[in-house]
Amino acid sequence: MDNVSTLSAKISIEHLTYRYPFAKNRSLEDITLSIDAGQSIGIIGRNGAGKSTLCYTLSGLIPRFFHGKIEGSIKIDGEDVPTMSVEKLIRKVGLVLQNPFSQISGAKMTVYEEVAFGLENLGIEKDEMHERIDTVLKQFDLYKKKDKNPFELSGGQLQRLAIASVLALQPEILILDEPTSQLDPCGTTEVFEAISQLKTLGITVIIVEHKFEKLVEYVDKIALLNDGKLVKYDTPEKIFSMPQIEDYGVGQPIYTALCKRMGLKKPNGYYPVSFNETVTLLSGLKMYE
Amino acid sequence: MKVLSLYVERDTFIHRLEPITKLLYALISIVITFLFPSITVGAVFVASSLSLAISAKVFKRMILLLNVVLIILLSIVIIQGLFYSKNATPVFKLWGLTFYKEGLLYSLLLIVRVVNMIISFGVLILTTRPSDLVDDLVQKGLSPRFGYVLASVLQIIPQMLSTTSTITDAQRSRGLETEGNLLQRFSAFFALLGPLVLNSLVEARERAMAIEIRGFGVEGKRTFVREIPETKADRWIKVALYVVFTVAVVWRIVLWIM
Amino acid sequence: MSDAVIKVDGLWFAYKDNEYVLQDINIQFDNRPTAIVGQNGAGKTTFVKVLKGLLKPSKGDVWISGTNTKETTVAQLSKIIGLVFQNPSDQMFKSKVIDEVMFGPQNIWKDKKDKNFVYEQSIKALRIVELDNKLEEHPYDLTLSERKLLCLASVIAMDPKIIILDEPTIAQDRFSTRKLAEIIKELIKDGKVVLTITHDMDFVAENFERTVIFYQGQVLDDGPTEKVLSNEENVATAHLELPNLVRLAKALDFKTTPLTIDDFVEEFSRCKKAGD
Repeated sequence: MDNVSTLSAKISIEHLTYRYPFAKNRSLEDITLSIDAGQSIGIIGRNGAGKSTLCYTLSGLIPRFFHGKIEGSIKIDGEDVPTMSVEKLIRKVGLVLQNPFSQISGAKMTVYEEVAFGLENLGIEKDEMHERIDTVLKQFDLYKKKDKNPFELSGGQLQRLAIASVLALQPEILILDEPTSQLDPCGTTEVFEAISQLKTLGITVIIVEHKFEKLVEYVDKIALLNDGKLVKYDTPEKIFSMPQIEDYGVGQPIYTALCKRMGLKKPNGYYPVSFNETVTLLSGLKMYE
Repeated sequence: MKVLSLYVERDTFIHRLEPITKLLYALISIVITFLFPSITVGAVFVASSLSLAISAKVFKRMILLLNVVLIILLSIVIIQGLFYSKNATPVFKLWGLTFYKEGLLYSLLLIVRVVNMIISFGVLILTTRPSDLVDDLVQKGLSPRFGYVLASVLQIIPQMLSTTSTITDAQRSRGLETEGNLLQRFSAFFALLGPLVLNSLVEARERAMAIEIRGFGVEGKRTFVREIPETKADRWIKVALYVVFTVAVVWRIVLWIM
Repeated sequence: MSDAVIKVDGLWFAYKDNEYVLQDINIQFDNRPTAIVGQNGAGKTTFVKVLKGLLKPSKGDVWISGTNTKETTVAQLSKIIGLVFQNPSDQMFKSKVIDEVMFGPQNIWKDKKDKNFVYEQSIKALRIVELDNKLEEHPYDLTLSERKLLCLASVIAMDPKIIILDEPTIAQDRFSTRKLAEIIKELIKDGKVVLTITHDMDFVAENFERTVIFYQGQVLDDGPTEKVLSNEENVATAHLELPNLVRLAKALDFKTTPLTIDDFVEEFSRCKKAGD
């Protein structure tokens, strides 16, 4: 095995298998992949393919919150996630869930205090707490709303608040489980803009998303899951250029579908996945001007 | 989204007091009115609670709060006035029913107690942000988990109410008569419980995951973004309250022995 | 128009005094499959709740197949107009798939002599969404996509003329979205009037003949999807996005608004030929 790459990886997962208590089938089966620090990774797959379960394993909710037996290993910076102390884990990994409403603590009356919730739990000193809260609220354009009740925010604002609240804990890895699925185009754009900021902060980002046209703009690699197994872990163009991609029920970016239909590949032999690539490819072919 | 809170934002001396001071006042005044079966003692505390409400500029709200229990108070008067076990001296007759002095006096005692309970707690609730009260208690040693439950209930109940109305809409949409007679309403209510409970459980589980991820389960020192200061005034008031309480208890014991 | 199934006349609606969420809406719906788009808070859901009779107009009138919604009950209206809510767990009341689907039909056909009718009707609906092999399962054991389809089946089983879907594609994978599109096509073929609230613009482009844009409680634009989506300005005003293919076509200076890959390929090869 090439131990070198395993050692340098931020996250390394080896032969990970997991079944929820009382479940008939395994939700994850023999998954092996590694993620480098600062990379952005997309996770795709059909509903029920094991995407959320993988997120829960990475963030330590499995086995702390959901019990059941984990086989194989899952390590962050070389340290075993299932046995790491909760406090340490929280400083390493943040998780943002799908539904913006149910991840608000519900115990705080203002946006400002909502961000403080996690910091209070970790016992962060008051001065630093204020500094961190101000920073994330400004970063995610929520500073003007700091005295509002969280439940008065729109879906997009609420999801940004959720991201800000997790980032205030300064995790090195941020996992987002379908963060835009409940949002309208405006809210989706807001969240993706927030995500692109994470990249500049050097944070390792893992994101589950069905909106591929957006996703491919932000990620370096994609992990395609099917029935709890890792089908392929590669760059977006290689993933979506697979001839059998449709068999996994995930679809593909509409640009890729279009180019496949027209039989147009990029010079490197793969189909385009993003808007810009497709415009470049097609405008090279367009002759009537 | 509405929030279940009766807090009225004002800037008064009472608002600035530490929540626990106000809680202490409410508890001690209630206990004392129950220790002494005396209308005078009750009336003294009603007057004192009321003056606190007035100085906190929440008198109007307080009246609204009292309106809610008006019917209960009225029924106490009627029931005790007519049926109190020690009734002996008739006072007046209404629609052929005889009201007795003993019952009326007893109902008056109950009323001053209940009214004081409402006003003294009303002062606390109307002048304190709910989360400040919880924070204050947690800072003084209440379990954070219990504190979380207290604080979140206030925010989550209005959410449940809005879920309830969505579910009712969904039922009506599928042809269920929810308006009609009592039986129809009753069965509609039961059909509502299943999805409401399941919905709340699903949401509660997600929320539990989300707060876990934000370190809720971490043992160790906690900090507080809003420190609730105990002022000099708070300390003096607390001392005064303890003194009054001790005197009352001692006095009661003395009365009891003699 | 005589074939209007829904007629909305000078509709205003407010939850609270004088805060109108819907303002002076005049619109008719016929057999064309129609998408109602707009950002969150534009009034879409309120509007369909008014159509469904769950909310009564503050001012103006709504006629569903000639019946004024003010003069009937929601339960009565549910025989002609069905609404699938956004969140499945708000609308599942029973512990078995088959019982769930039978809930509506049992309510509206209480007096039917033929006991088998309700069951047959429900099975037929489940067959349309391909859940007829899961009759005895608990709705909560289904996947999210299946739960959404179950809710749709529960409405189809009541055989209403009009079916409204509120955000059917939310949190769905592509496979489920495609399946939903096929079901919608089948319903249309069956003569149903299908209205959908959505902000999935690709879904709109591929599946709906007519598009209505809601913005701040008013109708900002209304017409054939191709025409509505070619007006970039309106789409931007409503804080929506163009469908991906339309965006691509704009970047390539197409003269037309391609809604499907077929449209796009056709137009692209036409341009190429013109250039040859």
